[in-house]
Amino acid sequence: MSPPIAVFLTEEGTVHALDDTCTHQDASLAAGWVEDCRVECPLHESTFSLTTGEVDQPPAKRGVRAHQVTVRDGEVLVELSTAAPKLPPGVEVA
Amino acid sequence: MSLAEEGHLLIIGAGLAGYHTARQVRAQGHAGPITILGAEAHPAYDRPALSKAFLCGTTDLCDLYLDDPSDPLDARWVRSDAVTALSTEPLGVQTASGTFYLGDAVVIATGAEARRLGGHAIRSVEDAAALRAAPLAGARVAVIGGGFLALETAATCTTRGAGSVTVIAGEDLPGLRRLGRPVARALHSLHEQHGVRFTGAARALGVTRAPGDPQADQVVTLSDGRGIPADVVISAIGASPATEWLSRSALALDPGTQAVLADDTGFTGIPGVWTAGDCALWSAQRTGLRPVGHWQETVDQAQALAAALLGGSPSPMQEPYLWSDQHHVTIQAAGMLALADEVQVLAGSIEGNDLLVSYLRGGTEIGILGMNRLREVVRWRKSRRIRPAVLAA
Repeated sequence: MSPPIAVFLTEEGTVHALDDTCTHQDASLAAGWVEDCRVECPLHESTFSLTTGEVDQPPAKRGVRAHQVTVRDGEVLVELSTAAPKLPPGVEVA
Repeated sequence: MSLAEEGHLLIIGAGLAGYHTARQVRAQGHAGPITILGAEAHPAYDRPALSKAFLCGTTDLCDLYLDDPSDPLDARWVRSDAVTALSTEPLGVQTASGTFYLGDAVVIATGAEARRLGGHAIRSVEDAAALRAAPLAGARVAVIGGGFLALETAATCTTRGAGSVTVIAGEDLPGLRRLGRPVARALHSLHEQHGVRFTGAARALGVTRAPGDPQADQVVTLSDGRGIPADVVISAIGASPATEWLSRSALALDPGTQAVLADDTGFTGIPGVWTAGDCALWSAQRTGLRPVGHWQETVDQAQALAAALLGGSPSPMQEPYLWSDQHHVTIQAAGMLALADEVQVLAGSIEGNDLLVSYLRGGTEIGILGMNRLREVVRWRKSRRIRPAVLAA
């Protein structure tokens, strides 16, 4: 089972896919703020790279998984990362 | 006078303010030693989850540690040693273990202590662990206080299967004075949907043993003469700055709260002595322009203090921000809510747990609050963002 995945379309027109759940606590990154190819969690100030998933600052300590995205004929194809998801404490994949 | 490149920074207090000050000072390039003194036995930990996930049992203390074990801060931590006195000449502190620590600069970040009326409190992890271990299932729980800590705790007690939860908020609706009527009504409705009861405007006077009710441990006596019998009583009635150890120092303390007074970079006016977090009252907080006791405020203060301490110019403080989780509803507020003279409902309904309200002063919007309105609140905060001035080369 995979945790929810968020797909992002940046102002520059690039498409990215990350695990949707912030690694600090249960919050949907899809409700966050996208700028400079990063998404900021809607609850706190940790931002995640849309290309690698790495995190820049607390409160989150760990990055999220980034998934490979291909756009073909206007369709977004996501190839799931084989890495283990990094979910916040107390949150499990449903 | 800023801290020299190789100067020793002594941080008093190993909580959110102490950790973030150290982190910011390192991030902003300080190379000299940093020592962080803490009274508690644990590594520095984050408190917001103590009334929520930790109290529910879904996270443990190790999940709350502020420092990252895989990328630890370059600092020396001293635990279980409370400070007892500040010395300005030489600059340093005396601790309970009899040690004197010298510093080239001292940051006072001793936080605040829960005010207690009786029963449990929720400030330290020990407080929260004691309540977590209490038999809440089926119990009659009384929560004294009407702020977010009290409401979060009440919500968690329902999750834990409490038989009844009664909140003694001391006002007609929880949050009425601070957040206005629409939000207070929505909070009241949210909690009532989950079976929480409120006692209205009557204030809690004290907690006594219950002679007439052998099943109940305690009775909370109210100002209107009622008594609320309870198996578990929780006080969440605010916190007082932990500055008793400074009462004979040269520092200026606020006459009301005993918080350490400082300018808006955390400088106390005594050379080398700075302060941030819940033990401090910066000028803008004293005049009511900035909130007191909020997580984000402390993190932002740490950044400003670190910049000033190292001789740089602090980034501007952003709009105040706070959040809460109650019954799976995320409540977020940003801006200068305390200054508002008008509240307007923008969207959502009282009963729908999806309210979005605007706070105005003289007709101008100065704040926002959303319940499960993450996108709207983040957009508002970003639209009000103050960017650092670009300095001419």
